[in-house]
Amino acid sequence: MSALTFTLKTSPAQRVDCSPLTADKLADKTAAEIAAITLVVGNQKVRTDEIFDIQGEDVANIHFAKATDKLDHIGHAMATGKITVDGDAGAYLGQFMAAGDIVINGNTGVYTACEMKGGTIKINGNAGDFLGGARIGYKNGMTGGTVIVTGNTGARTGDHMRRGYIFIEGNAGDYCGSRMVSGTIAVLGKVGKHFGYAMKRGTLLLTSAPEQGISANFNDCGSHTLAFLPLMFASFKKFDTKFAEIEPFSRVQRYAGDVSGIGMGEILIKI
Amino acid sequence: MIINGVTIDETFAEAFPMKGTRLIITALNAKWAMISAQAFTGFATSVIACGCEAGIERELDPSETPDGRPGVSVLIFAMGGKGLAKQVETRAGQCILTSPTSALFSGLDNSEKEIALGQNLRYFGDGFQISKMIDGKRYWRIPVMDGEFLTQEKTGVHDSVGGGNFLVLAESQAQALAACEAAIEEMRKIPNVIMPFPGGVVRSGSKVGSKFKALNASTNDAFCPTLKGQTKSDLSPEVESVMEIVIDGLTKEDIDKAMRVGIQAVCDLGAENGIRRISAGNYGGKLGPYHFHLQEIMA
Repeated sequence: MSALTFTLKTSPAQRVDCSPLTADKLADKTAAEIAAITLVVGNQKVRTDEIFDIQGEDVANIHFAKATDKLDHIGHAMATGKITVDGDAGAYLGQFMAAGDIVINGNTGVYTACEMKGGTIKINGNAGDFLGGARIGYKNGMTGGTVIVTGNTGARTGDHMRRGYIFIEGNAGDYCGSRMVSGTIAVLGKVGKHFGYAMKRGTLLLTSAPEQGISANFNDCGSHTLAFLPLMFASFKKFDTKFAEIEPFSRVQRYAGDVSGIGMGEILIKI
Repeated sequence: MIINGVTIDETFAEAFPMKGTRLIITALNAKWAMISAQAFTGFATSVIACGCEAGIERELDPSETPDGRPGVSVLIFAMGGKGLAKQVETRAGQCILTSPTSALFSGLDNSEKEIALGQNLRYFGDGFQISKMIDGKRYWRIPVMDGEFLTQEKTGVHDSVGGGNFLVLAESQAQALAACEAAIEEMRKIPNVIMPFPGGVVRSGSKVGSKFKALNASTNDAFCPTLKGQTKSDLSPEVESVMEIVIDGLTKEDIDKAMRVGIQAVCDLGAENGIRRISAGNYGGKLGPYHFHLQEIMA
């Protein structure tokens, strides 16, 4: 079976809610039924086949071609299957995702992996603000799963993140790990200002010391060899990321904070 | 049945169901992993008074351990899941958490039933403990004076078998001991089993019950050589010493294998080294539902 492919006919002027187009929701639907699904576009309801050329039949392997940053909610709450996006994706990609895989060959908008619960998202590009974060007013961001960003991330990466892993191969924006409750964010490149701001628990793992230094709200706990790091690096091997290839290390400088709050978070910097 | 001049009695060893788990203890080097494992498995020879039976299964190469350090795998068995959980927790807390550079992992992942491993030990961290989910398993990082104690949160429980055994009947103590040592050396090569008594050998085998109401086990007088003229003895005049090897295993088949190689090692020494008979602790069905027929095992 060939991948079920949604190819944008033209670049939409309004935002398109793609949340109905997941393997779970399309299971057992005929091609005609899929074509007839109504999508919310701006303030209109439009048939899927008015926006997309639809080809293929494998709902477990969905492909968005010629995608643009107007396509919101791709992979919304998906619990199975794989979605590949060629082009950019809009906001809320992978929101509430429980399992499965999403690969984006482009950039994503704000709130990617918002409140994600499981599965894997790989972004071969940059991610917008609030990657892995919580909706406004909500207390828990990502609670599971893995997000890999080969490029850079916007501000507030992992805001309110509670569990799971975010791998950033490029640079992280300002306020990375803000209000983080738990989980792990690892960065190969640089981090922006105020990283770990209001962090409660969790781990920010950096492979090099930030140029701007460490916030005064984090206290130096000294250099240590931490036994859990080799285990964690071994678990990275199964992912398609540079983190699977880097030489595992367990020797780190440990900073604890944000001490303006409960101060149980940590920044670990390779030494 | 006679093998190399050694009579294999037509009897069976009785064993009983237990709950067991495997733990992996690692440390900075093999020496300290072994010290920690020895402490953990100390005073764990018999459930009669120890609450569990535990022993070292084997040493582990760094490539075989979760954290890539030298390690030791241990097996621990108890009569029930709750008893096992209590023993694991107290022993891990006092013998592994306390042991320099140690880390503790489950050696039985993906079991349907689980018990706490580091789940409660984490409170030793007094609020500074850190949880990490790695590959779907929760670990606890507990700050201690030499760094961090890393432990997996839970370990699996396996329906196991305890009390597999055989008796070595010899013309002298020295010959019985030498035969048992040879057996233990071979049996330690079999995975999934432990021989929980000191050095793997027990010289005070017991029978079920006692003339004293407070005791539920007492000396196996039928196999005590000094009582040949005082009790209904099972020993011939030339037998002067009897020693027993007790085996606990994750499955009946594992115990079968261990008994086979152990008895064979004893028989290889043969009658010329003073070995007369191989028998077994048979309590007439009072002890447990698992029966290990010696002649079937050696057939």
